[in-house]
Amino acid sequence: MEIRLNPEQKLFAEAVDALAGDLAETWELGRGPDSVAPPVPDAQHWDAVAETGLLALRLDESAGGSAATCLDVCVAVEQLGRHSAPAPVIGTLLLIEQLRLSAAEPALVGAIASGRRRAAVTLTHDLARFATSPADAYAWDCAGAETAVCVESSAGKAAAYPVRLLRSADLTRSTGALDLDAGASETFAVDTFSCDAATRLTCFALALITADLLGVMQTALNVSVEHAKGRRQFGAPIGSFQAIQHLAAECLVSVEASRSALWYAAWAADELAPTEALLAARAAKAFASANAVQVAEAAIQIHGGMGMTWEARPHVWLRRIRTGRRLFGDENAQYAAIAGAQLGAGAGAGA
Amino acid sequence: MDYTDAPDVAEFRAQLRAWLGEHPDLIKPVGHSDEGAIAHTLAWYRALAGAGYVTVSLPAEYGGRGLPDSYEAVVNEELAVAGAPPPPPIGHIAHAIADFASEELKARMLPGLLSCTEVWCQGFSEPGAGSDLAGVSTTALPTEDGTTLRVNGQKIWTSGAMWSDWCLLMARTDPDAVRHKALSMIVVDMTTPGIDRREITMSTGSREFAEVYFDDVVVPVENVVGGLGQGWQIAMGMLAYERGPADMGWVGRIGAVLAAAQQDVRTGRTPADESLRRRLASGWVGLQVLNWHVQRTLARRAYETPGPEGSLDKLLATRVEQEVYATLLDLAGADVLAEDGAAFSTYLYSRAQSIYGGTQQIQRTIVAQRLLGLPR
Repeated sequence: MEIRLNPEQKLFAEAVDALAGDLAETWELGRGPDSVAPPVPDAQHWDAVAETGLLALRLDESAGGSAATCLDVCVAVEQLGRHSAPAPVIGTLLLIEQLRLSAAEPALVGAIASGRRRAAVTLTHDLARFATSPADAYAWDCAGAETAVCVESSAGKAAAYPVRLLRSADLTRSTGALDLDAGASETFAVDTFSCDAATRLTCFALALITADLLGVMQTALNVSVEHAKGRRQFGAPIGSFQAIQHLAAECLVSVEASRSALWYAAWAADELAPTEALLAARAAKAFASANAVQVAEAAIQIHGGMGMTWEARPHVWLRRIRTGRRLFGDENAQYAAIAGAQLGAGAGAGA
Repeated sequence: MDYTDAPDVAEFRAQLRAWLGEHPDLIKPVGHSDEGAIAHTLAWYRALAGAGYVTVSLPAEYGGRGLPDSYEAVVNEELAVAGAPPPPPIGHIAHAIADFASEELKARMLPGLLSCTEVWCQGFSEPGAGSDLAGVSTTALPTEDGTTLRVNGQKIWTSGAMWSDWCLLMARTDPDAVRHKALSMIVVDMTTPGIDRREITMSTGSREFAEVYFDDVVVPVENVVGGLGQGWQIAMGMLAYERGPADMGWVGRIGAVLAAAQQDVRTGRTPADESLRRRLASGWVGLQVLNWHVQRTLARRAYETPGPEGSLDKLLATRVEQEVYATLLDLAGADVLAEDGAAFSTYLYSRAQSIYGGTQQIQRTIVAQRLLGLPR
């Protein structure tokens, strides 16, 4: 029994923390919805991301990666969440894992992982799973991507399509529409997924989004607590009032419990049998989804009127969290899947 | 990161499971409201102690096995999973005495405590000192010759007081010192003249609690644990110790109840609409997260003294337990309300989780001020 990050993971977290901080620095929130910059780093910063090996984490060492565990990747993603990093790292990590598990051409995977080629992952229109057909697909976390890749596993191919950016609620990770009129700009051969590989991929995706939710909610709480220490009303810091203290205390329960859930789910994704790992990942994602929204909404409340302005950060966190909650299924989707696995089909599912 | 048992823990777990398998007669549900149930509980405690599974974390010289706290958690967890009654709730008392009492007091008290041949209760709360524990007003003032203390006052919510032989009493030994510094911890023989116990019947029908009145009760000064004025320090250590291992028992017990409900839904014995299915899944999710969180807290004890972080565990446990039992009440349907009031009591009992061991409000204040650093 050893339930803590090891020294290497802590060092890695510090390095990604610094990188994510830089990425956040260079991004302009602007003065309103019309002047916010797209969440895409310039070539120099994207090269810096690739040079840390962040994108190639899951690849074998022979492929230029570091054969990282799911937990290692989650340690990095939590830091991206802490800074609401406005760079398409998480989407790229998901695409690379999807391509890796479907045995796509190493040259393609290597080009994306080295930062030379910018490609986006595709998700179904409900954002609840990887897209399997371009007709029902958004490009996600796609700012700066030349193309979005839809892995049509049953057809044994992956196809790349041009992307048009949409006006997504999440300011730090873009959604895009695929341009289907011109057809696929390129196709690549992939293997058909085994059932186990598909489950492992889902576990990985759920864990990564849980890690991002954790990072964002940790920052939302930290900044709100600092605000409550400094902001004075009735001659005292508002953080001395029990109403604020108790709201913040429940937020810390949410954050630390989400961390405990993430650590187990990320460990399970590599170490346990697929069905067990999937239940753990669903539990962690369900808990973090429901709790992160509570924390982000509490952050706005604690910031008061300032918390409703464009220039203050709480809306950036809430936008990212509301999107993360939906990605690969919100808590209700997870509960339905868990109930299906544990309780049988039930009346509603029989029709 | 590794959530699997170390080899020696796995072996300990296997041995305990084997022992439980050999004693099905001891493993039966225990109420706490009638004489037979109390006798059965005491027999269970003594059998468990005889087999070497009580306070295993105490040093061997005091009758324990010198094992880490994680083994206490294994005991709690395995008993819960087997459907056995919980272990005797004496770990925190045993540690307080082992850590602070004089050698003479340890020699006199620990054998009976650990073998469960003598039953102990804990006299902390008072009518005027609930959440505000430092406000206890029961006094234990030195008599003129200095060899005894004279105890006067009233304790309440004293678990097991009706059938206890000893009480670990927190009382004010110095009327002049400030709040915390005047408190001492004293071992009191419950047969001493001047002690009056009155049973409290709880809303669930449980009769485990009592009020205890002390009217000029004379206690030898040798029965003070540690020094005069050390009571608060000892009490804080006990409250921190109380959490952790026992939490694994809670997780196991709620898990067993939830698993039985899931089984009934799966087989069609209990109907569940979409809303109830969703709530069952949500309750299961909460319980898993609690389990992982408590395991993390326990693992941390290997290299850190338990501190205010325990309040997070309590708050999370409260959320989960109250959600699960409310779901199970609704799952049981109107029959419970119309025909089976006893089942209502298991739900009702979950409402105590946010009150005992430090209320939800006290825990939130601890988290806000001591973990988040918000100003007093």
